[in-house]
Amino acid sequence: MSDLALLQDVIGEPKLIDWNWLKDNFWEYIVPAFQGHIFLSSISIAIALVIALPVGILCARYRKAYPPVTVVTGILYSIPSLALFAILVAAGVNVGPTPVIIALVAYSLLILIRNTVAGIDAVPPETIDAARGMGLTSRQILFRVELPLALPIIVAGIRIATVTIIGIATIGAYIHGGGLGQLIFDGINRQFPTMIIAGAVLATALAIFADVVLLGLERYLRPWARARRA
Amino acid sequence: MIEFRHVSKTYAGSDRPVVNDLSFEVLDGEICVLVGPSGCGKTTSMRMVNRLIEITEGEILIDGEPNTSMSGTQLRRKIGYAIQQIGLFPHRTIADNIGTVPNLLGWEKGRIRERVNDLLDLVGLSPDEYRDRYPAELSGGQQQRVGVARALAADPPIMLMDEPFGAVDPITRERLQDEFLHIQEDIKKTIVFVTHDIDEAIKMGDKIAILKQGGVLAQYDTPQTILSRPNSEFVSSFVGGDRLLKRLSLTRVSELDLGPANGGTDGLPRISDGLTVRDALSELMGSGQSKAVVEKDGEKKLLTFQDIEALTSSGAMGGGKRSA
Ligand SMILES: Nc1ncnc2c1ncn2[C@@H]1O[C@H](COP(=O)(O)OP(=O)(O)OP(=O)(O)O)[C@@H](O)[C@H]1O
Ligand SMILES: [Mg+2]
Repeated sequence: MSDLALLQDVIGEPKLIDWNWLKDNFWEYIVPAFQGHIFLSSISIAIALVIALPVGILCARYRKAYPPVTVVTGILYSIPSLALFAILVAAGVNVGPTPVIIALVAYSLLILIRNTVAGIDAVPPETIDAARGMGLTSRQILFRVELPLALPIIVAGIRIATVTIIGIATIGAYIHGGGLGQLIFDGINRQFPTMIIAGAVLATALAIFADVVLLGLERYLRPWARARRA
Repeated sequence: MIEFRHVSKTYAGSDRPVVNDLSFEVLDGEICVLVGPSGCGKTTSMRMVNRLIEITEGEILIDGEPNTSMSGTQLRRKIGYAIQQIGLFPHRTIADNIGTVPNLLGWEKGRIRERVNDLLDLVGLSPDEYRDRYPAELSGGQQQRVGVARALAADPPIMLMDEPFGAVDPITRERLQDEFLHIQEDIKKTIVFVTHDIDEAIKMGDKIAILKQGGVLAQYDTPQTILSRPNSEFVSSFVGGDRLLKRLSLTRVSELDLGPANGGTDGLPRISDGLTVRDALSELMGSGQSKAVVEKDGEKKLLTFQDIEALTSSGAMGGGKRSA
């Protein structure tokens, strides 16, 4: 360590991690950025779900709707995020969290809709036949049979979308969306690695945390698939 | 009672009916087996009873009322439904699965619980052990038992069963058939039972409806009559060359009028009077003797080839060309 530290001292470059800066800016800078990031990601996923679930259910029911929906959400998914942010701002959306959230929602739709359809498709046809044969209504079949059985696959979609979104959300700071991207962009502007690293590490940690929690949820939601007890 | 009245079904996008002018009655407490080659319209016919498939022409009456007199879902809650693929809800416990229809009908929890336990007992699964398991934790045979229990849950007077024992090995199937017949003696449901297996049809049916391609009814009769007087080439070939033997399997040794065994029974084979005549014949031939001893009500009787022959020649053993 001494060699590197000596070198840095001589050249006078900023230290990779400036612990004092972290301590001084923890409450009024880092924590709000972290909270902002959680806010951006979770609100986006929530809105995306409100759209994707009904659309997915509809696509599973009316197969003809699925290809066009896939095309549209597929295009949204493939627009480079930076470009999408810029397009939204150019289209008149005020800079700030709004265009970021719109873009993040747009990115999540493909994955969420696809997994909703896949989840419903995976329900064994004989299970649905038996349900119908016993006199469940279509609505009861949807809520009591199809959705519960599809839920683990839907949650798997939420997991992938969330992790993706947490990453992409950092770029949102470019149009003043807030979040951990703010730390990273500021760090780049000021040539101050501590900020960049803090932003990156926290974003990664958040993504991993969300991944693990949602994976747990996915498992929890299918107790019936656990190993045989007998 | 279920009455098919000139029922036809043509699927959308096709111009040929798959069920064609079907008329017959299923009497209360009877099992009516629909049997025939694959694709002859058995499943379609059965599913028109609870309107999982809508009729194109004709009508089906249940206790004199057209089955269209109430909504499809309401109708289906009153008719038990069991299928080969079982279709248990994988995410629900066995108890929840069996309780599905009572739950839909709004029974209270305690009553459902009791009913589920009774049904598990009825189909030979210990409630304590199986109630809280998931379907994946049961063997195929156990799942089929649960499927039947679930169909019986709300004690519907009518049951539809589409190859309900089709997905298990032959030995388990025989056991499930025997158990179900035993249960049926008590519950006396009116049952439409679909199978493609003529042996199962003969065993399970009070009446058998043999369908041929295109959903045409070839013959509707008791198993005895179908075996002794098939009304067409189609029926006699569908029933098979061994229909004589099949007839023997419809009678038990205990039903025969046997003569007493006087003295000299040493060295003769013993045959249980619970066997079917077909199995008795097989044992008798295997023993190399011409007669065997049957113990009946503590009395010794003698079973001979003549007794068996008398059975096969009694009634008209048709040549296969006579109509019923
Ligand atoms: N939903 C459907 N749409 C169009 N045709 C159908 C449909 N369901 C069945 N069929 C056709 O109707 C005919 C009768 O089918 P059904 O399932 O009633 O036969 P099955 O006697 O039960 O045969 P299996 O013994 O193989 O189960 C078949 O030719 C089948 O291809
Ligand atoms: Mg069938």
